[in-house]
Amino acid sequence: MAAPCRRMAGRSLLQFLSSFSRTSVSNSGFRQFSGTSVCRGSRQAQYVEEIASSPWTLMAAVCLQRLPVISAECNPIEQQFRDMMIQMELEKSMLSDHELRLLDDAERIRRIQAGEYDSDEEEDRRDQEIVLAQDLEDSWEQKLKNFQPAARVSDSEGDPGSLQRRLSDSLLLLVERPVGREKLWMLPQTEWQRGETLRETAERALSSLPAASGFKATFLGNTPCGVYKYKLPRAARTESSVGTKVFFFKAVLSDAGASPTTESPESSLLWVTKSELQRYVKPAYLMKVERFLLGF
Amino acid sequence: MQASATQQAFVLNQALTTCRATPSIQHPVWASVNERQYKSMPTHGIGRWRYLLPKDPPKKKRDRQQMKEIVVETETTYATLNVNVSGYDMTVVEHFSQHIHNLCNRLGIKVLDCYALQTKTTEVWVMQEQGTKMSVDSFLKTHNRVVQLRSLNATMCPIFLEVLLKNQPEGVQLSVQEHTEVDYKTRFKGRPELEGLKAKISH
Repeated sequence: MAAPCRRMAGRSLLQFLSSFSRTSVSNSGFRQFSGTSVCRGSRQAQYVEEIASSPWTLMAAVCLQRLPVISAECNPIEQQFRDMMIQMELEKSMLSDHELRLLDDAERIRRIQAGEYDSDEEEDRRDQEIVLAQDLEDSWEQKLKNFQPAARVSDSEGDPGSLQRRLSDSLLLLVERPVGREKLWMLPQTEWQRGETLRETAERALSSLPAASGFKATFLGNTPCGVYKYKLPRAARTESSVGTKVFFFKAVLSDAGASPTTESPESSLLWVTKSELQRYVKPAYLMKVERFLLGF
Repeated sequence: MQASATQQAFVLNQALTTCRATPSIQHPVWASVNERQYKSMPTHGIGRWRYLLPKDPPKKKRDRQQMKEIVVETETTYATLNVNVSGYDMTVVEHFSQHIHNLCNRLGIKVLDCYALQTKTTEVWVMQEQGTKMSVDSFLKTHNRVVQLRSLNATMCPIFLEVLLKNQPEGVQLSVQEHTEVDYKTRFKGRPELEGLKAKISH
């Protein structure tokens, strides 16, 4: 029973993925995302005529995520199960070398005190009489007490601009950009220029942020994970520009660099979790972005 | 309907005649060993199926370990990728590599191979505070498990990597690299005697 269900789930996911890639590529002239420059050069001639006729402005955005720093807290049920499993494993396990040594030492001390100990019988244990296993254990416990772990919840929990908040969740980078007459929160994006791949556009979008100069990101792949289509209002539409298409690329933050102390108030960066996203971002945009964000 | 009824009657008659043909044996329990009566029953061999399977070629005694072909990179798929999981805690490392394998099965990513590399032991020596003597503090064993993926689709890659990164447990390092022949060769032990003999022969 389990096998056919699993197969079906896998197939439907693949179909979804393949159809998704087709829709994202079909309108923009069948661009192929490749990492090597060799392939790019050969296809450039084909693209020129096709792209000149397309009325959509193409942009690439980067979905930069800071992965969780510490593991998430367990539910009460999970905690109970965990405790039970640990206890079961402890009861089923065999004694380790250290524990055997403890038992032997305790036995030897008991025999010394009872007066039956004959030191000639145990020749190979001479060197171990100096350091008992119990002493070792005591010194280890002392070291553990001296170790102070950092706090799970930092001070900057509510401050959306800080990178240290919500250490057990993954955070997404948002910037504020003027669009038309108003300023909107969105993922960092720039316009695509001829002669570069969309992934390079996304990398440029990240490096062109003034506040994010120290950020080092690893892009997870050459293919976009989502697309957002925006048609300009009827008054602003012309022959050559009907709207914009934004392709999202996933990236993972590997290094935040030095925290900027002299941050200008205009450069506003936000680090939000997926559940907080709806407070900042427009609903239509949110609907497309939520689809490729994993987690809560 | 009529034809089937007559067919059934015919079969029944035949069965009855075969039963009645050997009147001497009424109770098969006490039948003699030579007279295996049940072989002549019409339903004899009704459950046989192994003769229908295609014949496997006879297995050779000792197959030389051949390297599996490295898949070539194409426009939409990556070459053979090695997902390397390493850490100090063996249970966590093994469980995570099993999780990756199951994830690939579910997502339809083909897994070529799943093997373990050699365990490396690191001795940690601690310098004592009041003196220059060093003492052994602990032995740390680094375990390595590799899941080899066949052609990973380019659209699947960011999703797959993100799921791996988000599920990565504490104390486990993850690295994804392309598979090369050098990686394959490092799995084998060197044979110094053989090399010594070869050197002697060549001189």
